[in-house]
Amino acid sequence: MTTKPCPHEASVAAAARSGDWSPELKAHRDGCLTCAELTLVVAALTADAEELAGIDAPLPNPAPIWLRAQLASRERQYHRATRAIVWVQRAAMAVSVAIGIAFAPGLWELVSGAFSGLSLSFSAPDLPRSAGSPLVVFVVSLVVLGGLALWELTAVNEN
Amino acid sequence: MIPMALSLPRPQTTDLPGRAVTMDEAAFRHLYDRTARPLRAYLMRSCGDLALADDLLQEAFLRMLRSGFEGEDDDHRKNYLYRIATNLLRDHFRRKRPESDQVPERDESPGHDEAVHMRSDVGGAMAELAPRDRQMLWLAYVEGASHQEVAKALGLRTASIRSMLFRARQRLAKQLQARGLRPEMEVS
Repeated sequence: MTTKPCPHEASVAAAARSGDWSPELKAHRDGCLTCAELTLVVAALTADAEELAGIDAPLPNPAPIWLRAQLASRERQYHRATRAIVWVQRAAMAVSVAIGIAFAPGLWELVSGAFSGLSLSFSAPDLPRSAGSPLVVFVVSLVVLGGLALWELTAVNEN
Repeated sequence: MIPMALSLPRPQTTDLPGRAVTMDEAAFRHLYDRTARPLRAYLMRSCGDLALADDLLQEAFLRMLRSGFEGEDDDHRKNYLYRIATNLLRDHFRRKRPESDQVPERDESPGHDEAVHMRSDVGGAMAELAPRDRQMLWLAYVEGASHQEVAKALGLRTASIRSMLFRARQRLAKQLQARGLRPEMEVS
């Protein structure tokens, strides 16, 4: 025998959950295979839910859940608070790159000139003139600062 | 139609950036005390593993807190938790079967705890069903969710739920009857 959907299913399901049957609904259930089957399933599941909810195994402690949520919340707040610093770092890096590009042609001449002035028999007084050029120091400083900014940005993004 | 019980925005199963815990600890404890046991019962019956159910339970509460979801009252928050838990279950079953988008017909993983399913005739009967059928039946008949809410929770089309629920119910009834329970019998 097969069953088919019945229009009274919702009422029967609610009554099976609550146990509150009207005489008419009970009479219908007793004469309808679909609703009898539904009653069996709903009553079985309800009883099963009560049994499972009452098992002896202790529930997980909620304190670590709360603590983890708090830590995650603080971490997000920290990232929000340091967002402005990160943007300043990005701007500094962008400026560094821009300056580096602006000085690139002159830098190439400077570097090639510095190396052409070097020889195996160079004298010590020649060294400060090529190595101590203010432009070289400036460019190297920019590169170092840009590298530091890049490292900071990477570290923040990894977090 | 069963009354609407889970009418909520779809919760994410991934981290939600930029949101904070809005509930205070006392409210969280109250919600936990009220909902943890029935939620664990749902998870246990769906996955058949007490340890896994406890893990998913904690993850569901954690994600609710991290989402910053406030809810109108405890019932609203409880329903939201069930949505998160259902998504976690779905993710769990999909991870176990990466080659298929469908949940397995039966859960036969090593962590599958037969003791949970066989605790009662009902547990044994439910164990014979697909995880999705178990979730569907539980949400509809224990939690009182509407077809639309069940569809949203399980990622299915609302139009399909009525027939799917009907077939799942028939399968469960058949299993219950095989264990000696009959439609005319009241389960106490």
